[in-house]
Amino acid sequence: MVAKNHIFEIADLAVFGAVVLAAVGHLMIKAGLVGAAAAASQPAILDRLLLYFSQPYVLLGLMIYGIGTAMWVLAVSKHDISYVFPISALNYVLVTLGGKFLFDELIPAKRWAGVAVVIVGVGLMQSSGREGKQ
Amino acid sequence: MTPTLALWLSIFLNGLAQVLLKKGVGHSEERGGASRRWWLSLLRNVWVWAWGLSFVAATALWILALSKLDISYAFPLLSTSFILVAILSRLLLGEHLSRKRWIAIIVICLGVILIAAK
Repeated sequence: MVAKNHIFEIADLAVFGAVVLAAVGHLMIKAGLVGAAAAASQPAILDRLLLYFSQPYVLLGLMIYGIGTAMWVLAVSKHDISYVFPISALNYVLVTLGGKFLFDELIPAKRWAGVAVVIVGVGLMQSSGREGKQ
Repeated sequence: MTPTLALWLSIFLNGLAQVLLKKGVGHSEERGGASRRWWLSLLRNVWVWAWGLSFVAATALWILALSKLDISYAFPLLSTSFILVAILSRLLLGEHLSRKRWIAIIVICLGVILIAAK
Protein backbone atom coordinates (compact mmCIF):
# COMPACT_ATOMS: atom_id res chain seq x y z
CA MET A 1 0.00 0.00 0.00
CA VAL A 2 2.89 2.35 0.68
CA ALA A 3 5.44 1.97 -2.10
CA LYS A 4 3.16 0.35 -4.68
CA ASN A 5 0.88 3.32 -4.97
CA HIS A 6 3.40 5.76 -6.37
CA ILE A 7 1.93 7.36 -9.45
CA PHE A 8 5.11 6.69 -11.38
CA GLU A 9 7.05 3.49 -11.18
CA ILE A 10 10.10 2.69 -13.26
CA ALA A 11 7.93 0.68 -15.62
CA ASP A 12 5.69 3.70 -16.23
CA LEU A 13 8.76 5.78 -16.94
CA ALA A 14 9.68 3.26 -19.64
CA VAL A 15 6.22 3.66 -21.22
CA PHE A 16 6.33 7.44 -21.28
CA GLY A 17 10.04 7.53 -22.13
CA ALA A 18 9.39 5.32 -25.16
CA VAL A 19 6.54 7.55 -26.33
CA VAL A 20 8.52 10.77 -25.85
CA LEU A 21 11.61 9.41 -27.62
CA ALA A 22 9.51 8.16 -30.56
CA ALA A 23 7.92 11.60 -30.93
CA VAL A 24 11.26 13.44 -30.62
CA GLY A 25 12.71 11.04 -33.20
CA HIS A 26 9.85 11.77 -35.62
CA LEU A 27 10.20 15.52 -35.17
CA MET A 28 13.97 15.40 -35.72
CA ILE A 29 13.52 13.39 -38.90
CA LYS A 30 11.02 15.99 -40.04
CA ALA A 31 13.48 18.79 -39.22
CA GLY A 32 16.13 16.99 -41.27
CA LEU A 33 13.75 16.58 -44.21
CA VAL A 34 12.84 20.26 -44.09
CA GLY A 35 16.56 21.06 -44.19
CA ALA A 36 16.92 18.88 -47.26
CA ALA A 37 14.06 20.53 -49.15
CA ALA A 38 16.26 20.78 -52.23
CA ALA A 39 16.33 16.99 -52.38
CA ALA A 40 12.68 16.92 -53.40
CA SER A 41 13.69 18.23 -56.81
CA GLN A 42 15.99 15.26 -57.42
CA PRO A 43 14.37 13.15 -60.13
CA ALA A 44 15.85 9.77 -59.14
CA ILE A 45 14.35 8.30 -55.99
CA LEU A 46 17.69 6.78 -54.96
CA ASP A 47 19.44 10.17 -55.16
CA ARG A 48 16.66 11.66 -53.07
CA LEU A 49 16.92 8.96 -50.41
CA LEU A 50 20.72 9.34 -50.30
CA LEU A 51 20.34 13.06 -49.67
CA TYR A 52 17.77 12.50 -46.95
CA PHE A 53 19.89 9.91 -45.17
CA SER A 54 22.96 12.17 -45.24
CA GLN A 55 21.14 14.78 -43.14
CA PRO A 56 22.52 14.80 -39.56
CA TYR A 57 19.05 15.43 -38.09
CA VAL A 58 17.58 12.50 -39.99
CA LEU A 59 20.30 10.17 -38.68
CA LEU A 60 20.03 11.52 -35.14
CA GLY A 61 16.23 11.19 -35.32
CA LEU A 62 16.51 7.57 -36.43
CA MET A 63 18.93 6.85 -33.58
CA ILE A 64 16.59 8.37 -31.00
CA TYR A 65 13.69 6.47 -32.53
CA GLY A 66 15.75 3.27 -32.14
CA ILE A 67 16.42 3.94 -28.45
CA GLY A 68 12.70 4.64 -28.04
CA THR A 69 11.90 1.26 -29.58
CA ALA A 70 14.20 -0.50 -27.09
CA MET A 71 12.47 1.32 -24.26
CA TRP A 72 9.14 0.24 -25.72
CA VAL A 73 10.24 -3.42 -25.59
CA LEU A 74 11.13 -2.93 -21.92
CA ALA A 75 7.77 -1.29 -21.21
CA VAL A 76 5.85 -4.09 -22.95
CA SER A 77 7.68 -6.67 -20.83
CA LYS A 78 6.35 -5.05 -17.66
CA HIS A 79 2.69 -4.39 -18.52
CA ASP A 80 -0.31 -5.89 -20.26
CA ILE A 81 -0.16 -5.02 -23.96
CA SER A 82 -3.83 -3.96 -23.77
CA TYR A 83 -2.69 -1.36 -21.22
CA VAL A 84 0.50 -0.08 -22.77
CA PHE A 85 -0.35 0.02 -26.48
CA PRO A 86 -3.21 2.57 -26.25
CA ILE A 87 -0.93 4.88 -24.25
CA SER A 88 1.29 5.10 -27.32
CA ALA A 89 -1.47 7.32 -28.78
CA LEU A 90 0.23 10.12 -26.79
CA ASN A 91 2.65 10.08 -29.69
CA TYR A 92 0.04 11.89 -31.83
CA VAL A 93 -0.37 14.49 -29.07
CA LEU A 94 3.37 15.17 -28.84
CA VAL A 95 3.84 15.28 -32.61
CA THR A 96 0.90 17.70 -32.90
CA LEU A 97 2.47 19.96 -30.26
CA GLY A 98 5.82 19.72 -32.05
CA GLY A 99 4.20 20.58 -35.38
CA LYS A 100 2.67 23.65 -33.81
CA PHE A 101 5.62 24.97 -31.83
CA LEU A 102 8.60 23.80 -33.89
CA PHE A 103 7.28 23.95 -37.44
CA ASP A 104 4.57 26.62 -37.08
CA GLU A 105 1.96 24.28 -38.52
CA LEU A 106 -1.63 25.42 -38.33
CA ILE A 107 -3.58 23.13 -35.98
CA PRO A 108 -7.38 23.24 -36.45
CA ALA A 109 -9.63 23.39 -33.37
CA LYS A 110 -10.88 19.85 -34.03
CA ARG A 111 -7.35 18.51 -33.69
CA TRP A 112 -6.83 20.31 -30.37
CA ALA A 113 -10.06 18.70 -29.17
CA GLY A 114 -8.62 15.33 -30.19
CA VAL A 115 -5.43 16.08 -28.24
CA ALA A 116 -7.51 16.78 -25.12
CA VAL A 117 -9.61 13.62 -25.58
CA VAL A 118 -6.50 11.42 -25.99
CA ILE A 119 -5.01 12.89 -22.79
CA VAL A 120 -8.22 12.13 -20.90
CA GLY A 121 -8.20 8.57 -22.29
CA VAL A 122 -4.58 8.02 -21.25
CA GLY A 123 -5.43 9.32 -17.77
CA LEU A 124 -8.27 6.80 -17.55
CA MET A 125 -5.92 4.08 -18.75
CA GLN A 126 -3.35 5.01 -16.11
CA SER A 127 -5.93 4.59 -13.38
CA SER A 128 -6.97 1.21 -14.81
CA GLY A 129 -3.34 0.16 -14.95
CA ARG A 130 -2.90 -1.30 -11.49
CA GLU A 131 -5.83 -3.70 -11.76
CA GLY A 132 -4.48 -5.62 -14.74
CA LYS A 133 -1.03 -6.01 -13.28
CA GLN A 134 0.12 -9.52 -12.60
CA MET B 1 -3.33 -5.75 -54.33
CA THR B 2 -5.83 -2.92 -54.01
CA PRO B 3 -4.81 0.06 -51.82
CA THR B 4 -7.70 -0.60 -49.43
CA LEU B 5 -6.62 -4.20 -48.91
CA ALA B 6 -3.03 -3.05 -48.31
CA LEU B 7 -4.29 -0.52 -45.77
CA TRP B 8 -6.34 -3.01 -43.74
CA LEU B 9 -3.60 -5.64 -43.93
CA SER B 10 -1.16 -3.02 -42.66
CA ILE B 11 -3.43 -2.09 -39.75
CA PHE B 12 -3.95 -5.77 -38.86
CA LEU B 13 -0.24 -6.61 -38.98
CA ASN B 14 0.60 -3.51 -36.96
CA GLY B 15 -1.73 -4.65 -34.18
CA LEU B 16 -0.68 -8.28 -34.42
CA ALA B 17 2.98 -7.19 -34.13
CA GLN B 18 2.33 -5.73 -30.66
CA VAL B 19 0.69 -8.92 -29.45
CA LEU B 20 3.57 -11.00 -30.86
CA LEU B 21 6.06 -8.77 -29.03
CA LYS B 22 4.17 -9.24 -25.77
CA LYS B 23 4.09 -13.00 -26.35
CA GLY B 24 7.87 -12.89 -26.82
CA VAL B 25 8.88 -10.76 -23.83
CA GLY B 26 6.36 -12.17 -21.38
CA HIS B 27 6.07 -10.64 -17.93
CA SER B 28 9.45 -9.48 -16.72
CA GLU B 29 9.88 -9.45 -12.97
CA GLU B 30 13.09 -7.45 -13.05
CA ARG B 31 12.94 -4.00 -11.50
CA GLY B 32 14.30 -1.06 -13.42
CA GLY B 33 16.28 -1.77 -16.58
CA ALA B 34 16.65 -5.33 -17.78
CA SER B 35 19.93 -7.22 -17.74
CA ARG B 36 22.19 -7.65 -20.74
CA ARG B 37 21.41 -11.35 -20.73
CA TRP B 38 17.71 -10.57 -21.05
CA TRP B 39 18.27 -8.32 -24.07
CA LEU B 40 20.50 -10.90 -25.75
CA SER B 41 17.91 -13.63 -25.15
CA LEU B 42 15.44 -11.60 -27.21
CA LEU B 43 17.63 -12.12 -30.29
CA ARG B 44 16.98 -15.87 -30.01
CA ASN B 45 13.25 -15.40 -29.43
CA VAL B 46 11.09 -16.43 -32.38
CA TRP B 47 8.16 -14.22 -31.24
CA VAL B 48 10.41 -11.18 -31.17
CA TRP B 49 11.51 -11.93 -34.75
CA ALA B 50 7.86 -12.34 -35.74
CA TRP B 51 7.21 -8.89 -34.21
CA GLY B 52 10.03 -7.36 -36.28
CA LEU B 53 8.86 -9.01 -39.51
CA SER B 54 5.20 -8.01 -38.95
CA PHE B 55 6.29 -4.46 -38.20
CA VAL B 56 8.39 -4.21 -41.38
CA ALA B 57 5.59 -5.73 -43.50
CA ALA B 58 3.01 -3.40 -41.93
CA THR B 59 5.19 -0.37 -42.64
CA ALA B 60 5.77 -1.40 -46.27
CA LEU B 61 2.02 -1.99 -46.80
CA TRP B 62 1.24 1.36 -45.14
CA ILE B 63 3.54 3.21 -47.56
CA LEU B 64 2.04 1.26 -50.46
CA ALA B 65 -1.50 2.18 -49.37
CA LEU B 66 -0.64 5.83 -48.73
CA SER B 67 0.83 6.22 -52.20
CA LYS B 68 -2.71 5.75 -53.52
CA LEU B 69 -5.06 6.83 -50.68
CA ASP B 70 -5.56 10.19 -49.00
CA ILE B 71 -3.87 10.37 -45.60
CA SER B 72 -7.00 12.00 -44.16
CA TYR B 73 -8.87 8.79 -45.07
CA ALA B 74 -6.20 6.31 -43.98
CA PHE B 75 -4.98 7.89 -40.75
CA PRO B 76 -8.21 7.80 -38.67
CA LEU B 77 -8.56 4.09 -39.51
CA LEU B 78 -5.28 3.49 -37.64
CA SER B 79 -7.22 3.97 -34.42
CA THR B 80 -8.95 0.63 -35.03
CA SER B 81 -5.61 -1.00 -34.14
CA PHE B 82 -6.21 -0.09 -30.47
CA ILE B 83 -9.44 -2.12 -30.49
CA LEU B 84 -7.75 -4.90 -32.45
CA VAL B 85 -4.89 -5.18 -29.95
CA ALA B 86 -7.41 -5.29 -27.09
CA ILE B 87 -9.30 -8.18 -28.74
CA LEU B 88 -6.15 -10.07 -29.77
CA SER B 89 -4.59 -9.66 -26.31
CA ARG B 90 -7.67 -11.27 -24.81
CA LEU B 91 -7.87 -14.10 -27.33
CA LEU B 92 -4.18 -14.91 -27.70
CA LEU B 93 -2.66 -13.82 -24.38
CA GLY B 94 -5.61 -14.17 -22.02
CA GLU B 95 -5.30 -10.61 -20.76
CA HIS B 96 -8.16 -9.43 -18.60
CA LEU B 97 -9.73 -6.16 -19.73
CA SER B 98 -11.75 -4.38 -17.09
CA ARG B 99 -14.65 -2.17 -18.11
CA LYS B 100 -12.58 0.86 -17.17
CA ARG B 101 -9.85 -0.23 -19.56
CA TRP B 102 -12.33 -0.69 -22.43
CA ILE B 103 -13.70 2.79 -21.80
CA ALA B 104 -10.16 4.22 -21.83
CA ILE B 105 -9.41 2.44 -25.12
CA ILE B 106 -12.58 3.80 -26.75
CA VAL B 107 -11.89 7.36 -25.50
CA ILE B 108 -8.34 7.17 -26.90
CA CYS B 109 -9.70 5.92 -30.25
CA LEU B 110 -12.12 8.84 -30.44
CA GLY B 111 -9.29 11.26 -29.66
CA VAL B 112 -7.08 9.80 -32.40
CA ILE B 113 -9.97 10.03 -34.89
CA LEU B 114 -10.44 13.71 -33.96
CA ILE B 115 -6.72 14.42 -34.33
CA ALA B 116 -6.54 12.67 -37.68
CA ALA B 117 -9.84 13.72 -39.27
CA LYS B 118 -9.86 16.56 -41.73
